[in-house]
Amino acid sequence: MGLLTNILLAPFLGPIYGTRWTLDKVDRVVREELTDDTPIKEDLMALQLQLEMGEIDDAEYVRREAEIMQRFREVREWREKFGMSTSGGPVRVAESDETE
Amino acid sequence: MTPGESAAERSEPIPADSTGEGKYVYCIIRLDRSREFGEIGIGGGARVYTVNHNDLAAVVSDTPIVIYDPTRENVLAHEFVNETVMREFTLIPMSFGTVFRSEKDVLALLKSTYQAFTDVLEKMQDKIEFGLKILWDRDKVVAAIERENDEIRRLKDEITRNAASSTYFARMQLGRLVEAAMEEASNRYVADVHEQLKDVSVASRSSKVIGDRMILNAAFLVDRQAEKKFDEKVKAISRQYEDLLNFKYTGPWPPYNFVTIKLKLEKAT
Repeated sequence: MGLLTNILLAPFLGPIYGTRWTLDKVDRVVREELTDDTPIKEDLMALQLQLEMGEIDDAEYVRREAEIMQRFREVREWREKFGMSTSGGPVRVAESDETE
Repeated sequence: MTPGESAAERSEPIPADSTGEGKYVYCIIRLDRSREFGEIGIGGGARVYTVNHNDLAAVVSDTPIVIYDPTRENVLAHEFVNETVMREFTLIPMSFGTVFRSEKDVLALLKSTYQAFTDVLEKMQDKIEFGLKILWDRDKVVAAIERENDEIRRLKDEITRNAASSTYFARMQLGRLVEAAMEEASNRYVADVHEQLKDVSVASRSSKVIGDRMILNAAFLVDRQAEKKFDEKVKAISRQYEDLLNFKYTGPWPPYNFVTIKLKLEKAT
């Protein structure tokens, strides 16, 4: 009976454990990807360079800049959802801080 | 609600406090009286003026409480104010997009960070920054390497002569040699540029290169008195390498890459 249960359930238990572990990992990777604005900054700098080098015209720059700005907003939004710090928006001197 | 949608909403002004206006801060300077810099601020020519505390001043303009996207228009407005201020003052640039809710909050920043601002302003007195990006033309550099490197030239000739019979391994070998020689050349060029600029600059800082043609992305801190010498030197080096390298030289800038004061700021909600 015990043996039979194991045999019957084994194929199900296996993948479930496996999947859960993978999902945690995927979740973490996705979260990092959603909240990291480094690649967006790099894209913006690369775009700037292309304009400076005369590889794209002004209209193309403006179009692609709008896409990049949208990505910035999305990252900001996700960071807020995950309770992470965001740049932009009103700030004030942190109250805990005396001097530094 | 997708992030995109709500973010788009947020580019609209969020209601501010009773004054109805926040303060966008461009930079910190040393000045013990108030001062106007004209209608050159971010968001379409807002009036730029100072908020003073003792002998420190924050250069600000009024702004609705919004998040400023780093668009070219906004970034240029931020930089233009700093350039204008820089003609007369040594300044500590603030990060792009720094908005305080009120003058009181700006004063709190000046008070709480007074010593650090003062120290850094002292250190940065009459220092300016120049940006230097160097890009190479891959084909020309490869051609130069083939001229200079006997082994590569020989191998290449051999492969070209015996195109049909030349082995995959010979080609692989050539590719590897060229790659290594290019990396060596890149390091050599960069080292030479740094060496030549050492005497006319105070410090330098290299950032990550952008794209695959860039071999140097650096900022140099220069004494105002040495500006002309630095300028001439950069031009001389770019002439020296004009067949191989493309120099992108910008400035003078405020010392963006040489000032790092970690401000303890929090979201003002």
